[in-house]
Amino acid sequence: MVTVGVVVPRLWVSDARGEQSQFTPGRKLVVIQLAGGNDGFNTVVPYTDPRYHSLRPTLAFRDTELKTSNGSSTIISNQYGLHPAMAEIKDLYDQGRVAIVLGVGYPNPNLSHFLSMDIWHTADISGVGSRGWLGKYADVALLGQSNLAAASIGSLELPKSFGADKFVVPNIINFSFYNFIADPAHPGDYNNQINTFNAGASRALAAGSLIGAINNTAFESVKGAQQLQRSINSYRSTIAYPANNPLAAGLQMVAQLMTTVPEASLLYVQLGGFDNHSDQIGNRGNDRSNKRVGDHATLLRWFSEAVNLFHQDLTEHGLADDVVMMQWSEFGRRPGENASFGTDHGTAAPIFVIGNPVRGGFYGEQPSLAASDLDLAGNVKFKVDFREVYATLLEKWLGADSRVILGAQYPNVGFLD
Amino acid sequence: MTSIAYEDAAHLLRRMGLGGSPAEIEDMIPRGLEGAVDFLLNYEQSDNREMEELLRRSFDFSDPFDFAKFNRGELLRWWFTRMTYTRRPFEEKMTLFWHNHFATSASKTGDLLIYNQNLTLRRYALDRFDNLLLKVAQDPAMLLWLDGVTNVRGRPNENFARELQELFTMGITDVVTGEANYTEEDVKEIARAFTGWVFFHPRNDPNPFNYQFVVNQPEHDNTTKAIYSGTQWARTGNLDGTDVIEIICARRATARYLVRKLFEFFVYPLEATAADNAIINKFADVYLTRDHSIKELVRVIFSSDEFFSPRARFALVKSPVEIIVSSIRMLGARYNPGASAREGATNNILAAFSIFLGQELFNPPDVAGWKLNLGWINTSTLLNRFTYANLLAINRSRDPNAVGLSLSQEQLRGFAKKNSKKTVKKLLSILGPLDVGAEMVGALRTYLESDDHGNSIGFTIDDLTLDKKVRGLIHLIMCLSEFQLN
Repeated sequence: MVTVGVVVPRLWVSDARGEQSQFTPGRKLVVIQLAGGNDGFNTVVPYTDPRYHSLRPTLAFRDTELKTSNGSSTIISNQYGLHPAMAEIKDLYDQGRVAIVLGVGYPNPNLSHFLSMDIWHTADISGVGSRGWLGKYADVALLGQSNLAAASIGSLELPKSFGADKFVVPNIINFSFYNFIADPAHPGDYNNQINTFNAGASRALAAGSLIGAINNTAFESVKGAQQLQRSINSYRSTIAYPANNPLAAGLQMVAQLMTTVPEASLLYVQLGGFDNHSDQIGNRGNDRSNKRVGDHATLLRWFSEAVNLFHQDLTEHGLADDVVMMQWSEFGRRPGENASFGTDHGTAAPIFVIGNPVRGGFYGEQPSLAASDLDLAGNVKFKVDFREVYATLLEKWLGADSRVILGAQYPNVGFLD
Repeated sequence: MTSIAYEDAAHLLRRMGLGGSPAEIEDMIPRGLEGAVDFLLNYEQSDNREMEELLRRSFDFSDPFDFAKFNRGELLRWWFTRMTYTRRPFEEKMTLFWHNHFATSASKTGDLLIYNQNLTLRRYALDRFDNLLLKVAQDPAMLLWLDGVTNVRGRPNENFARELQELFTMGITDVVTGEANYTEEDVKEIARAFTGWVFFHPRNDPNPFNYQFVVNQPEHDNTTKAIYSGTQWARTGNLDGTDVIEIICARRATARYLVRKLFEFFVYPLEATAADNAIINKFADVYLTRDHSIKELVRVIFSSDEFFSPRARFALVKSPVEIIVSSIRMLGARYNPGASAREGATNNILAAFSIFLGQELFNPPDVAGWKLNLGWINTSTLLNRFTYANLLAINRSRDPNAVGLSLSQEQLRGFAKKNSKKTVKKLLSILGPLDVGAEMVGALRTYLESDDHGNSIGFTIDDLTLDKKVRGLIHLIMCLSEFQLN
């Protein structure tokens, strides 16, 4: 088993089957899902590749166009530049806090959003798995801890990554509503109501049944909500998160939870809208070909801005050395553009791993855009299995035995010491 | 005539409709099984004038470009008002089913076109599946939602062609045999068949809702397409979208996929076993031999032994819409939606809570729709269900014309029986009927009989008990895991 360095104390937790894993207190992982299939080629732009330009006569960024709104270059190497909307990620990259893993995908890529998402969520290439990779981790490493040790933040649905057998992972949409509320006209009856509720929710209903699962969630939700309400309002920060950036709203909630509930260590946020079949660039109806604006630029600006503000907030609270962020998307997009100022479903794409503990730079390998290297649908071949990224995070950051969670040993990508 | 018991009638009303009051449930029993199914299925025969009149008073959709009167909030209020008051609950339930099946979001289509789509789903809800699918495919909302309008000759856009097969008809693989239903090549060929499909609003047409479908011939690819090559469904020729829909709807894979989707929405989740596959095949034969009629297919499903089997009882998780609307209908609570948006106060609390519970109508999470059953349940949505239960239970209004949700003291008096046991049983019956076991009945009785310090003081029907304890009991029953099931 690959283990982390000895500087951080470890806690050993056994689950019911006797599987053992390590949990490294203090270390936190934030997963950022960009849903819909992020266009990797216009995120980490291979601006010197002539094939990129010939496949994307309308969408491709030339080197002269890789400039932020205030004119500073987003070129980060003699091969790659970041999308010009990602000014803050460029700065973090320059500080050595951004790892870019190129060509991340998996064998026999599936172009269905739903199957491909399930494959990433479950780390099961067949797409039929029900437990998520983070849910499996929670089952072996977090069981018995506070219900708030892991949480999905700001989304209506609990992501499948958190599908667990035992640990009930909270899904927190909004802090103020995350509470058990009874009749304010009769405050003296509150304890009676809570006690009666708990009598129902602590019944041993058939394990594995629909009603058993609901009842278990009911019990944990009220217990977690009571802990959360005792803590959450002590959050103070000087960072101003913009109201019109949905990912910033989510990451602010993550910061609030992490800084007020010390157990909170495995957090998950999502930003949707990346399925840019059309209007990926340009203003609808007007200047349809301006690459600096459009749906994709807006989304990447949100991503860049939110990650940076969150990092600043963590720094202000002395937590920036404890947090690693990993971004993913169910697939990249096709190198060849379509007729609608957009791109269709693709395969491999770069992903970002960000944070003070991260060793910045490039990892993996860019897939070739040569015609002979593309598959029948016109998509690229992957170079790094996404499970290698998971394994690196599980072992090098969370101190877990990745084989228990992923079912096999995967190579270390190298972005963590 | 096959007779049905009270529990059967309640089960039928929960599944084909949005739950019923005790009187509505009683009304089903003398009709017998087939009669009750037909009564709910032939909904056009039910008098709905009371609801229509309320909608006329409460909404003004005459000008979709007058934002104050026609917007997303108004559309949501309109649908929740319909669902709460309709005498044709199966019309709403099927429209919900198709909204989830052809999941389209107003975030891309805008409010006018999503409203038009909702009317299309209603109009063809029980038609031949081919015809419903064609009407939906040609409806402007879908042409925008899956980029049909930018799918042009020479540069096809695959979005609709993919979801047509993956989500709307067959699935990637056959739900019984597991064989692949189509290839990436088929996606590309079918995208070409749908090129040039657009919509327009006729110039000078005074009706602002009257959008029309047309094939824009110069943008339509009139060359040969070869689909499903090497299979028994192989076809080559100058196919257009209408041909493709007819070909796909005749495939057994479509019959099986549609049957599974309907069965799992209305009866119970299926497993990959021989016995459950036989169920899918049995109902798929109904689809194939009855001319792809949705109405005949669902009639057979709702009349089946499977539907009334023990396995089907409380085997589904109530959706947010079902939690909200059925609790109002079961309790006989009052929801006054208010006047039309410009003329006075309105109330949109039902739609607001549906969003908190995880279901924003007209804005599904993605083209695959909402994830049902345990997909509805997480710690937040469950806490929000409890909060809704509390809100419904404690909405007091002395003014019978007040806008919003209310449960009056008189209604509470109707729920209170002479002792705590009978009161608990009465409300468990109204809100289900739910079987929660003797221990839980005991805990609920203890609640009714406890003072603020937890001391037992017995149960007497007085105003304070009604206002505190009977309202509290409704809240607590709606928090039970049994109540989350349908």
